[in-house]
Amino acid sequence: MTDQSLAPDAFKRIEQTAQIHGISRPSLSYWQDAWIRLKANRRALYSLYLVVGLLLFTFLGPLIWQIDPSVQDVDQISQPPFASRTVQLVPEYQPWYPSDELSGTGLNFVAPPTTQYVRLTWDKNPAATGGYRVYRNLFPIGVERAYGLPLKETGVAENFFEDRLDLKPRNYFYSIVALDDDGNELHDQVETIEGEVIRVMAPREAISRGMLDADEAPVFGTQYTLPLHPLGTDYLGRDMLARLMHGARVSLFIGFFAPFIFVLVGVAYGSVAGFLGGMTDQALMRFADFVVALPFLLFMILFKVVFAIGPGESGIMPMLLAMVLLLWPATARLVRGQILQIREEGYISASRLLGAKTNYLVLRHMIPNTMGVILVTITFAVPSAIFTEAFLSFIGMGVAPPTPSWGSMCNEGIKTMLTTPHELIFPALLISVTVLAFNLLGDGLRDALDARMRNRE
Amino acid sequence: MSDVNYTQPDGEESFAKAAGKQLLGFGLATVVFFGLLMWGLQTLASMVGSSTVSAKAVDAENQSITIAIATEPPQMDSTLATDASSGMILGHVMEGLLRNSMDDKIEAAIAERWEINATQATFWLRDDARWSDGEPITAHDFVFAWRSALKPENASEYAFLLYPIKNGRAVNEGDLPYTELGVRAVDDQTLVVDLERPIAFFDKLVAFPTYLPIREDFYNATNGRFGADAWEMLYSGPFMITSWVHGSSLLLERNPYYWDQDSISLQQINIGYITSDGTAKLNFFKDNKIAFTTLLAENLTNAMAQRWHIERTQDGTVFFLDFNHRPDHVTSNRNLRKALQLVLDMEELVYKVTKLPGYIPGESLFPTWLQGVEDKFRKEYPAPELILDRDEALRHLELAKQELGIDEIPELILLSGDNPLSSLQSEWVQEVLRTKLGISVKIDKQIFKQRLAKMTAGEFDMVLAGWGPDYDDPLTFGDLYASWNKNNRGLYNNPEMDRLIEQAQNSVVPRERMETFAAIQQLLFDDVAQLPMYERGVTFVIHPHLKNVKQRVIGASTDFTRAYIDTTAY
Repeated sequence: MTDQSLAPDAFKRIEQTAQIHGISRPSLSYWQDAWIRLKANRRALYSLYLVVGLLLFTFLGPLIWQIDPSVQDVDQISQPPFASRTVQLVPEYQPWYPSDELSGTGLNFVAPPTTQYVRLTWDKNPAATGGYRVYRNLFPIGVERAYGLPLKETGVAENFFEDRLDLKPRNYFYSIVALDDDGNELHDQVETIEGEVIRVMAPREAISRGMLDADEAPVFGTQYTLPLHPLGTDYLGRDMLARLMHGARVSLFIGFFAPFIFVLVGVAYGSVAGFLGGMTDQALMRFADFVVALPFLLFMILFKVVFAIGPGESGIMPMLLAMVLLLWPATARLVRGQILQIREEGYISASRLLGAKTNYLVLRHMIPNTMGVILVTITFAVPSAIFTEAFLSFIGMGVAPPTPSWGSMCNEGIKTMLTTPHELIFPALLISVTVLAFNLLGDGLRDALDARMRNRE
Repeated sequence: MSDVNYTQPDGEESFAKAAGKQLLGFGLATVVFFGLLMWGLQTLASMVGSSTVSAKAVDAENQSITIAIATEPPQMDSTLATDASSGMILGHVMEGLLRNSMDDKIEAAIAERWEINATQATFWLRDDARWSDGEPITAHDFVFAWRSALKPENASEYAFLLYPIKNGRAVNEGDLPYTELGVRAVDDQTLVVDLERPIAFFDKLVAFPTYLPIREDFYNATNGRFGADAWEMLYSGPFMITSWVHGSSLLLERNPYYWDQDSISLQQINIGYITSDGTAKLNFFKDNKIAFTTLLAENLTNAMAQRWHIERTQDGTVFFLDFNHRPDHVTSNRNLRKALQLVLDMEELVYKVTKLPGYIPGESLFPTWLQGVEDKFRKEYPAPELILDRDEALRHLELAKQELGIDEIPELILLSGDNPLSSLQSEWVQEVLRTKLGISVKIDKQIFKQRLAKMTAGEFDMVLAGWGPDYDDPLTFGDLYASWNKNNRGLYNNPEMDRLIEQAQNSVVPRERMETFAAIQQLLFDDVAQLPMYERGVTFVIHPHLKNVKQRVIGASTDFTRAYIDTTAY
């Protein structure tokens, strides 16, 4: 024992001085500091811009681009962006009953080919004892003798043909193949003609489109311009841009709403488990393990059945429910671990010694200290939820057909991937960019919100 | 510490460099690893299952082809088979007395020659016809098969096809014992059939799978499992099933005992895939794994880009707009129906509305594939030409209003199916009648059963109807509008029509019958009993080296029995 004399002086209050240490830098709160470090992270910052841009696209976009996403423009089906939009006014379609005295100048178009009809005539071929077969191709006939799509077998006396099958403004190759008595093709008796089909419109349609007044006399041959579709149209002639904007709503609704709810559930569950500890913690966490083991897709299907949602009806609610019910354990585990750790920290004990109540401890110390983890979980949950929605809509379990969603748009686009790739590329690009932006942002947030990195310049 | 001079990496930059190098190294190693892994697995797979991997669409060396079918046959007892898959495979492994030739005629098969008169049909079997176990095929085998098809306890759905045989219906309904059936084997080589009444197309019926032979002792030896597996069947046709892996594949191999060996050139038909997924089949075809596939509308551009030879055919079904001829419906008025006929452009429907390739705009109730006397029926007796004319239609509409004594045609009820294609069509009819005639139409969408119930009850003015053939004779369509036909749900009743149909049913002279059908075709047109809309079609592609593949409306389709491989063809 050392000899220590305690003089009354030792218990005298120290006088407060104006400034003990000079604070060399401005005082920064946790959030201010995080924001500064997030700004320093270029990747994260650009991702943030992208996310903001995406929100504007989704919520302001439809106010600017006021096109109904379910309106079908039958004249512009599967139209890529920047395609020609001119259309010529022609008389209403009149059935064609050709007389026998058609000109004998070989295979020829009777009238300029239009989207209304393509009328062909050819010289009678004495070798064609079984008539003719008319083919249409989108590509030149090569050595393979692939004439394309067979359209009709005409009789021996019928040396004319009218094509009206789904004509698009593009080049077509028509082939007339002579047939022998048994209906076999005579490959040396083939004539082919190429024609560029121009887009035309009859007055009735022009009136319904509002390009022509009902009492106005139509001037045939006039050029009109069809409505603009900046990103083209889909297989039913619906505007891609409008559909992407409306589709984003579904994607972002699921993307924000589902993670928000299940993260909230997870935080509450995890903090209770972590804070109470012991047997309660054990029981709660084993239940969480049980939920983790439940297969998501199966539950999604079960909910669809339980809610009597048939094929062709929107599966958004069961999707949301399945996500909320099944995806919270990950957050709960994370938060529980964090709380367990914080509970043992010195400042908690100190706070407790100073008489802090449970409420105060949880709200003042524990939740704010897990905030970083929670935010990061949300930012990573958002892209995964968007992706889940896209995936489920892609396999046909998401939104019902008239409602667009990026996933269902991809699903529709993939069928015509090789011929009209824009129908797949745009929604797929948006999904990729969104998911990437959220992931990079989450990455940046994690770095920014990590208190231990606070002092690292 | 040692005095090794550490070269300190100067800051972040060289750290990034080092990390980059390391990453590159890892990347390369990964690529090499996976490459080796793939190669290893490939080699392993080729060593283990050479038989499955080497299956090519067309294998000229082994004279073998690989195809896919949509569904697995539930079983292959010819007396019970009703589905397309069973019919297709039975057509390859079985042969009856007569068969459909490559040009859709009836030709001799197990029967060397035959004679059909008003009361009796006689078939003389060839003596070199053998079952796949080498035993001769006798007349008794046919007697046994036909009797069992008609036995009430077997409940064969196609039993009605045997009703032309004397006492056929009575046996099937249990009124007579099966021994009373009018078919008997005079000796091993001669089969005599007593007919219920004169029938012109009995030879076509005999070519149908329900008429195939079954050997009694073999049938009894299978203990009720006849046709359930490859070894529970005995084959009379050019091929036999040598392997049937349920749910996965079937292998048909040349039957060494088949009598007509010279007409067959393939050794093997490998049904390697069972899938109804059109895109999957398209990809198999593209990868040269199957030799044949049907095409969906969205795949056509792709098929053209691949430079495939696209072909088309009909599945046999005819679709038409049927009217309610009950007197309390305005559609019983001929002038109104005529007006509708003159404005509804079925080419527009097929080409601009449904836009499905392979479909043929309807001109007649009798489809284009039906056989006439020498050539196709529609080539011998073309459909009456319809010239669309709106003014003429309006004139008929006025006449109709006068006759009916009304100022305005009431709203017509159009009964329609509930599938998208039916909706498209009914909306088109609605639109055309509204714009061209000013008639308003109400669409009543119903599921199939409900639609039939409403048709039977007469709760409609017009209905989108379809009719598939039961046998290759115009009569399968021709008797639809007989006043006694239960499928005549619009109750069309025209004594002249009844007279013609009776004439067609009772006549056995081909020319006379076809003339009668032509008269029916004309009468249907003139009286506008119905409006033909279209014939359903399919487009398909075949491997360019595979020739002589036959598409049929009735019987085995697609038929590869007489196909051959020509590697020189495009």
